Amino acid sequence: MSHPAADSRFLLRRLHSLLGLLPIGIFLTFHLWENSQSRFGAGHYNGEVVAFLRGMNYLPVLEIVVIALPLLFHAGYGLVVATQMRAELTRYRFARNWLYWLQRVSGIGILIFLLLHVGMTRIEGLWRVSVREDLFGHMQHLLSQSWMFGLYLTGLLLSVFHLANGLSTMGIVWGLTTSARAQRRFGFVCAGFGLLLATIGVHGLIGFLP
Amino acid sequence: MPANRMSIRFKIRRQDAPGSPSYWQEFAIPYAPDHNVISALMVVQNNPVTTDGQRVAPVVWDRNCMEEVCGSCAMLINGVPRPSCSALIDSLTQPIVLEPLPKFPVVRDLLVDRSRIDEGLRRVRAWIEIDGAWDTHEGAPRISPIEWSANYLYSRCMSCGCCLSACPQFGPHSAFIGPAALAQVRLMNAHPTGRYDQAERLHAIMGDGGISDCGNAQNCVRVCPKAIPLTTAIGELGRQTTVQAVKDLFGG
Repeated sequence: MSHPAADSRFLLRRLHSLLGLLPIGIFLTFHLWENSQSRFGAGHYNGEVVAFLRGMNYLPVLEIVVIALPLLFHAGYGLVVATQMRAELTRYRFARNWLYWLQRVSGIGILIFLLLHVGMTRIEGLWRVSVREDLFGHMQHLLSQSWMFGLYLTGLLLSVFHLANGLSTMGIVWGLTTSARAQRRFGFVCAGFGLLLATIGVHGLIGFLP
Repeated sequence: MPANRMSIRFKIRRQDAPGSPSYWQEFAIPYAPDHNVISALMVVQNNPVTTDGQRVAPVVWDRNCMEEVCGSCAMLINGVPRPSCSALIDSLTQPIVLEPLPKFPVVRDLLVDRSRIDEGLRRVRAWIEIDGAWDTHEGAPRISPIEWSANYLYSRCMSCGCCLSACPQFGPHSAFIGPAALAQVRLMNAHPTGRYDQAERLHAIMGDGGISDCGNAQNCVRVCPKAIPLTTAIGELGRQTTVQAVKDLFGG
């Protein structure tokens, strides 16, 4: 039984794993760091942060190739992966088992959140000039409604969790961490990274509030 | 004397034939110290009368070695998959709930068909090729004590199937071979002679139902009665398959 090359399913699964970090995880980190500048007010946010992004070379290509397509593949293949889950959370009350479940559930939550989030910012901005020209004002208007703030907060925390936990299991999948001690240690490193990223994200959300 | 010191009570999920509906029956036997689940089931078998006073067909289960090395007696005991020979009655809450090992097809009562474990082992070539058209003229290969002690942990696998029944990715719905067979790939790939077939084993676990189906829930390592570092094996195989994929894609 010899295979000429690695199995395509294996490669797809590894591609799914890799895309979660590169570019999606890097993008999320950048995105939250960018938006944490909301605390400097509308002038800085619209004039510096958004203007810089909108002036980027090859912007539409970058948006599609670096963000949209990897996200769509990661989400689509992630849904396929999630169908294999038969979690028994009450029988096996171990932290990793809960994280395993939450990784899949958060993935579905993030997908729903992102459809709404991208829809009411990037897509809505395509035809509504006010969204495009004053994104800060638009976000302030959105986040001033408590339920919308709750939605964004949930989407943010789910995304950050999904990235941090995904990073820790990526260590096992790719063979960076093998011993139980290394896996635990790296798990704490990822948790620390997640907490830091969540703080930056929440800081950014609060910065939009009047 | 507390109630659980006077009798040993069982609640057993029974099933008459593959695919037939399951039902519960309760049994009680007089208390005796130092029983394990199997020795107590033998007492039930001598006089298979339920607590309702009904004489029923004796409970069927699988057993062999009685010293936790053969793996045949694994079942769900109070909701936990574990070998029944090493499940001591004095350490269990009563009534002791016995169910067949989950994820495997029930043959009858507590007896399940675990041939899927063997299929997995066959698929990953969990053996060392020593037969060939040559004479090696060499003694046993030397293994450092450090390597040997790490390998030894994996050689304790008795194919009981506890790790598989606790695995949320394994079951009739999936083709996943599960942690037990993966750990044997780790063991065989580390052997000085078994190493020659490393690429073949890695290709087997890089296929359908292989290592990619692991979701890192890590229940396997928590329930393994032999304390085999299954998740370490999976991490090491992650590394080996990464290297193998690089070789497959770029040569070398």
